[in-house]
Amino acid sequence: MNKTLLMTLLLLITGAVQAEEKVVVYNWSEYVDDSVLEDFTKETGIKIEYSTFDSNEVMYSKLKLQRGKGYDIVVPSTYYISKMAKEGLLQKLDKSQLKNIRNLNPDLLNKDYDPGNVYSLPYLWGSTGLCYNADEVEPASVTAWKDLWDPKWKGKLLFTDDVREVFHMALRINGHSGNSEDPAHITQAYELLKKVIPNVLVFNSEAPREPYLSGDVVVGMNWNGEAVSAAQENPAIQYVYPKEGAVFWVDSFAIPVGAENVKNAHAFIDYMLRAEVAKLNTEYVGYATPNQAALPLLEQSTRENPVIFPPEKIIANGEFHRDIGNDALQLMHDYWQKLKAGQ
Amino acid sequence: MNFRFLAIALTISWLAIFVFLPHLLLVNTSLLTPHLEHLAVWPATLDNFQKVFTPLYLSVFLHSLELSAIATIICLLIAYPFAWIVSAHTSSVRAWLLFLLVLPFWTNSLIRTYAIKILLGKNGVVNTIMTGLGLWQEPMQLLYTEFAVIFGLVYLLLPFMVLPIYSSFDKLDPTLLEAGRDLGAHTLQRFARIILPLTMPGIIAGFLIVFLPAMGMFYIADLLGGAKNLLLGNIIKNLFLVARDWPLGSAFSVIMMSIMALMLLVYARVNHYVQRRGGLDDQNL
Repeated sequence: MNKTLLMTLLLLITGAVQAEEKVVVYNWSEYVDDSVLEDFTKETGIKIEYSTFDSNEVMYSKLKLQRGKGYDIVVPSTYYISKMAKEGLLQKLDKSQLKNIRNLNPDLLNKDYDPGNVYSLPYLWGSTGLCYNADEVEPASVTAWKDLWDPKWKGKLLFTDDVREVFHMALRINGHSGNSEDPAHITQAYELLKKVIPNVLVFNSEAPREPYLSGDVVVGMNWNGEAVSAAQENPAIQYVYPKEGAVFWVDSFAIPVGAENVKNAHAFIDYMLRAEVAKLNTEYVGYATPNQAALPLLEQSTRENPVIFPPEKIIANGEFHRDIGNDALQLMHDYWQKLKAGQ
Repeated sequence: MNFRFLAIALTISWLAIFVFLPHLLLVNTSLLTPHLEHLAVWPATLDNFQKVFTPLYLSVFLHSLELSAIATIICLLIAYPFAWIVSAHTSSVRAWLLFLLVLPFWTNSLIRTYAIKILLGKNGVVNTIMTGLGLWQEPMQLLYTEFAVIFGLVYLLLPFMVLPIYSSFDKLDPTLLEAGRDLGAHTLQRFARIILPLTMPGIIAGFLIVFLPAMGMFYIADLLGGAKNLLLGNIIKNLFLVARDWPLGSAFSVIMMSIMALMLLVYARVNHYVQRRGGLDDQNL
């Protein structure tokens, strides 16, 4: 009997909430122009419940725990799409509700992490590379990942709080792919990273531009978009594509399998794929848009910024992350705990 | 069915559902085998507890204990004289002082932590003043250090140390001190043999309330310590969310609970001791 009572109560509560059209969005932190969200609600009457994450792992853990419920939109990076689709956490998109797909650049569609874009559509793409403050650091001293190992940076660097990106650097310095699954390569990378840890002052994937802007950090890793935003406030903050090759990623919209507002989720994605909206987002967050219809709308300074839209050669020199499998990932995580504990 | 019965039944079922059951689940999870996709699976094993005591986790664990202990002791050193001074004032002044102590709680602790970031940054208030006055040659690295973590913990947890100690002082019977003086005890003796033992339950209660959160406040270490594994809370958070090793994360939580239980035992013992020596019962302390 108590159970019925509880159910009734729950129904009453959820009923009251559901009277209103909404969409629950789970996106990377600082990854949208807020005015876009307001305009969406104004135009469609659909309320947005917005929350943010700062690593794929955290987003994945929450969805895994809730069996794909709780959110209507998630924005996983590259290989997390294939991983989550394989594990049944994502649902197929209904393309008939997404007429703005035609705006997207075909080069960024139909990738190996989601052939045919069954589960996802690209939102923004960008890279992880080097960043420095030109007022404090000689530009010539920061051109390659290897430069971060210089003992003169003791207790000065910023690393992203991302196990794959940090290991990527060491794997590339050692001449391997950043997607290597070979335990020997990963162990070798750990040995190399051990030497750079005394140089690391802070791990930050929430807003890596902040420590550069506040002056606490003058050199380290960064995402290109964060560096672009930082440069708008302080032009001395520069972004460099490292010689060994940057990490590239595409963050894509996907709808979790347990989403409750599927129709609104499609409406949201379609809205975000509009050329004018894509323009606003790219200019606000400083990452490249896969929306080719938006390109002519962009301000020249954005469209011709090689940090945001790097030349073909630099993209070819970099790598996109792939799913490296549970065993390799587990090994990396074990080493990651050690590194963060300074061991 | 009277009101009293209802109140007790409600409390007990609340505790059973929201405290006892989750803890039971936690203990259960700590005995399972980790699995990246399914989080925790059978068979049961004690490996997780064994893993806690491997050199990696043990050293992090001890370091976390050390940081939390330092923060707690600093809290104690500040809170004890503060509580004493507060208790010496008239009741209206006391009410004001305690009100001021609790006032910062009206602002969310996360926001106050961001404020500390602004204070301690390279171009922050502290560095600007110190270099401006010529006391420091160049800005010091205060943020993203262990100092910043301890500072943050002390700042956030100080009131939790003050309040129980204050309540001990509040209940301290001044006639005992007069009796001590009449019988020839000098100041130091009165402090060591009357005041300190009688406020010991407050000290231990404060220690309990501060020490445990000090190990768990992962966001302090994330924001002020640069997201390195500094506190037990960071390890547990990383194990649950990033590494997805729930059994090991649970094992750490179970150990943390055991520490709490152990400290409660000490608290009970001390209370008992004071009761015997001071000739007072628990309620008078």
